[in-house]
Amino acid sequence: MISTTPKSLLAKASSFWRSYSRNRGALFAFFFLVALILAALLANYIFPGDVEAPNIGNEMLPPSFSAILGTDYLGRDQLALLVFGARTSLIVAFAAGGLLAVVGTMAGLLAGYFGGRTDGLIMRIADVFLTIPILPLILVIVAFASPNLLNVMFAIGLTGWPVMARVVRSDSLALMKREFIEIERVMGASSARILFKHLLPNQLNSILVYASLSIPAVILTEASLEFLGLTPLSVSWGFMLNVSMSYWIRGTWWMSFFPGFAIFMTALSFYFVSEGLKEALNPKLKRRRESLAVQVAERK
Amino acid sequence: MGFLSYIGKRVLVAVALIVVVGTLNFTILHLAPGGPELVFLNPRITPSARALILRQFGLDKPIQIQYLLYLEGMVTGNWGLSYFYTEPAFDVISSRIPATLLLMVPSLILTVSLGILMGIASVRKPYSFLDRFLSSFAFFFYSMPVFWLGFILLSVFAVYVHVLPAGGMLSITTVGFDVRDYLWHLILPMTALTLINLANFSLLVRSSMIEVLDQNYITTARGKGLPERLVFYRHALRNGLLPTVTMLGLFVGAILTGAILTETVFSWPGLGSLTYASITSRDYPVVLALFFMFSILTIFSNLITDIVYGLLDPRITYD
Repeated sequence: MISTTPKSLLAKASSFWRSYSRNRGALFAFFFLVALILAALLANYIFPGDVEAPNIGNEMLPPSFSAILGTDYLGRDQLALLVFGARTSLIVAFAAGGLLAVVGTMAGLLAGYFGGRTDGLIMRIADVFLTIPILPLILVIVAFASPNLLNVMFAIGLTGWPVMARVVRSDSLALMKREFIEIERVMGASSARILFKHLLPNQLNSILVYASLSIPAVILTEASLEFLGLTPLSVSWGFMLNVSMSYWIRGTWWMSFFPGFAIFMTALSFYFVSEGLKEALNPKLKRRRESLAVQVAERK
Repeated sequence: MGFLSYIGKRVLVAVALIVVVGTLNFTILHLAPGGPELVFLNPRITPSARALILRQFGLDKPIQIQYLLYLEGMVTGNWGLSYFYTEPAFDVISSRIPATLLLMVPSLILTVSLGILMGIASVRKPYSFLDRFLSSFAFFFYSMPVFWLGFILLSVFAVYVHVLPAGGMLSITTVGFDVRDYLWHLILPMTALTLINLANFSLLVRSSMIEVLDQNYITTARGKGLPERLVFYRHALRNGLLPTVTMLGLFVGAILTGAILTETVFSWPGLGSLTYASITSRDYPVVLALFFMFSILTIFSNLITDIVYGLLDPRITYD
């Protein structure tokens, strides 16, 4: 067993941080996300008062010193709205991303460990989700199950797991051929022991990388749903873009530019973080910049 | 086993998938708060009309019969009634298909051809400046919401510079279908849609080519003194592009999703803006029918890619 005294943990953490921060994009993304999370947590203190209240007379003002990012169609400060909107995006990103990772990991582990019919069944279900168009499916589910944040998170989490399942399954299959698993089996270890003491811990790193890699897609999906007007949340980046659709023709570029930029920066940051994690957790890996689709294809 | 039985098997899978989607639709419909009655019926109708419609749609029958009737309706084009347009959902949707294809197909062609070129360019000198530039480009656009890119393009080229139309597929003044007017309107939405999908596709070509260039037969070809150009274009390229064919089916799904969002921004009169409109007006029969239509489109294109792949790859065994 690896000793986990506080000192070795600290040493591990510092060596991890050293290799992680070697990737400057990942470093910058990390600080951006930390700042965003802090701002979202402290939003009430940064912008006291009701930021959602209409401010008559100040509608659609371009960026200025009093409102750095301009005001929206109700005269509200866009910077304040963006900071409050970060809550929605981050909550969905972590909750739906987490759900996706848990379901995908479980499905992949079971498919890889039991093989045979179980494997066939799980992977066929995964294939169905990979074949039918996901955004329309989520649209239908959310529209019918009444649009709210919880349903959005469930819909995204429960439709996005197949990629994760594929990754975990193929890693599990590779692990199952290793000697130490063979020995455990011969010694009569239970399925639960092999699954959770060996298969899972041995892939935690790659699970973490793929979970963070799937978050940009989660953020974009959630933003798309709001943009299409499905989740009538007063403050969210996607819905700000939805509103701006009625106004951009008058030249109110700041009403669409800044919310979209926030979505873009957040998604990109998670991407860079996953890249940094990949390099720091798996030093043998070459620096390869592959998209999610490519990785799915490779694991097919 | 012959090629025909391979095709037969793929067709069976496609049919099974369509049944799965139909079942999914049926389940969602019945699990929805209020069930199909509440979802499909206009709340303002009279009780007698309600009873009549319930009988017409078979909603007074037991659930398993309803399910079979539903699947039969899906096959025969009886996809429910749009209560916004007050005509069959199937008709509402079919009238929008051409516009979506007029956006998707040019974008798909452009994505594939540019993606292959970019993938080749970056793989000719791996980890060179060009390669890294193209990879960052892909990274960048992968994280970008396509509707945001659409807004930027519109703000720049339709509002500030005022050189391109601000949306739609044809000018209001145009009578009939004018190809030049259509192309004029196509530029911006096609650019947005293509840039987003190109990112992924070029990376796919790149990684597939890198894998092929690692193979033994490439080393052999080089070892026997073939010129590099010949090795690359004759031996590597052909095999490297094969896996990308299988990915095309998956890409149609992505492009379709992109098209829904792109059409909404550019008020392109296809399935995408219909999706937006029917969500906004709570036209549930059309929302369900749209999902079915999108699924059929992706399942069908997956089927075609499978068949094309079978034709292209001599190694494939048909079983």
